[in-house]
Amino acid sequence: MLEVRDLRVSVGGAEIIKGLTLAVPSGETHAIMGPNGSGKSTFAYALAGRDGYDASGEARLNGEDILDLTPEARAAKGLFLSFQYPVEIPGLSAIAFLKAALNAQRKARGEAPMPAPALLKLLREKAATLNISDEMLKRPLNVGFSGGEKKRFEALQMAVLAPRFAILDETDSGLDIDALKVVAASVNAMRDSEHGLLVITHYQRLLDYIKPDKIHVLVKGRIVKSGGPELALELEREGYDKYLKAAA
Amino acid sequence: MTSALPSRRDEDWKHSDLRAALDGVAAPLSGEGNIIERLARAAGAFSARELADGDRDIVVDEIETTSFAPQAECVSVGAGGVYHRIVLQRGEGVALSSCRVRLGAGAVFRQFVIAEGARLARLETHVAVEGEDAEVELGGVYLCGADRHADLTSVVSHGAARGRTRQLVKGAARKGGRGVFQGKIIVEHAAQRTDARQHHKGMLLEDGAEIFAKPELMIFADDVACAHGNAAGGVDRNALFYLRSRGVAEGEARALLTEAFLLDALPAWAPPDVRAEIEARISVWLRGAP
Repeated sequence: MLEVRDLRVSVGGAEIIKGLTLAVPSGETHAIMGPNGSGKSTFAYALAGRDGYDASGEARLNGEDILDLTPEARAAKGLFLSFQYPVEIPGLSAIAFLKAALNAQRKARGEAPMPAPALLKLLREKAATLNISDEMLKRPLNVGFSGGEKKRFEALQMAVLAPRFAILDETDSGLDIDALKVVAASVNAMRDSEHGLLVITHYQRLLDYIKPDKIHVLVKGRIVKSGGPELALELEREGYDKYLKAAA
Repeated sequence: MTSALPSRRDEDWKHSDLRAALDGVAAPLSGEGNIIERLARAAGAFSARELADGDRDIVVDEIETTSFAPQAECVSVGAGGVYHRIVLQRGEGVALSSCRVRLGAGAVFRQFVIAEGARLARLETHVAVEGEDAEVELGGVYLCGADRHADLTSVVSHGAARGRTRQLVKGAARKGGRGVFQGKIIVEHAAQRTDARQHHKGMLLEDGAEIFAKPELMIFADDVACAHGNAAGGVDRNALFYLRSRGVAEGEARALLTEAFLLDALPAWAPPDVRAEIEARISVWLRGAP
């Protein structure tokens, strides 16, 4: 599903990701863990196609190299990035935003726009599972939302857009334990043999609720170790020190 | 006789070259009022009227010039009166408009202007707050495409106590377009406890777009609350990436963000059909006709 081979990413001339290789097969959930500054968010942004992230190497989604595609084309092919810091957009309601996003993706895939009543029904249904009120859907996107509300709203976008492959960048930051359970349940509802998931996190806590098949440790732009879920427990116990020393 | 027209050396016309735009037009040398009022009077397009105490009126003024059409009005709003004015401007050539409003005690003047510009469009508003506790709201949006020039100039003069002014003007310009905002608020010594706020924000959508702003607060009273703000910039890159990462194509993402920015300046008091017309004009300007 997602295959990354010898990916190098530079931002402002500085190489942050230094030859990263990773494969997440369809139906699996992988986690990337790493200390601050290891390149976790840079990796996520580069996969989503952010301007100014100069990427070389290969990143294939369902066999197709996506590195030369625009961010919107990647989204239409089923890639989704849940932002660590969702952006506030004054004047654009959450409903209008989701309508624009969903119909833009449908258009890019050659599908007809979803009729407004069906769209509203879908939104309300998914919003209810995330404890998001109608009133919140009408508010300007992310403006004045708490950290937890922003993350719940990212989960709502994911549920509505139904991507084939999602990257969750530090989804647990800003979430209290109840909200974390709600978001995790929403994410877990989308996991099946057709979908893939990459969870980027600092802490083991999130992985108690979104259980990964595999864990990769990212240090200084490279994956230095991969293993099963038990690796998260080891990192929680021993920290990243030994990997940082080895990489130095 | 064109020498009666202001040149760009005239501070008030620094960014709008009326003399060049009206080359060959005979302008009246003298007479009452500003140059637009004199031109309008000469063209027979000057009106003056009064709103009696407590009366309400709403005017929707569509200005669509083809070559040159100056117009001017003077409205005196009596105590407790409410005057709402909406101006929808677009067209070719040179569009000039002046609206002069005098407010009695407790009177209200609310205005919203949407200007798509012309070769030169200058829409002036002059408000004299003569009675106490009067309220002024001036909203505006300018949209300047290639070879379009829109100038929103206003002077609000507070001459009586406890007046209140709220001004919010937003605009967007593309390559070859020029937006001008000149807003002056004067608070005379007699106008104690005036509360005045003025904000202008312009968005430069492309290289080669121009926005000129001259916000001015002149305060001669000591017990007042006044604030102003002025900014110009481009589309927020973080917001643009956020929308694109959700599948919205770049052009539409820019349109959505610019639209959200502009709609913020629309007044709550506009009748729904007029508001819909304003929204439609903004959308067509951003995206082309549907």
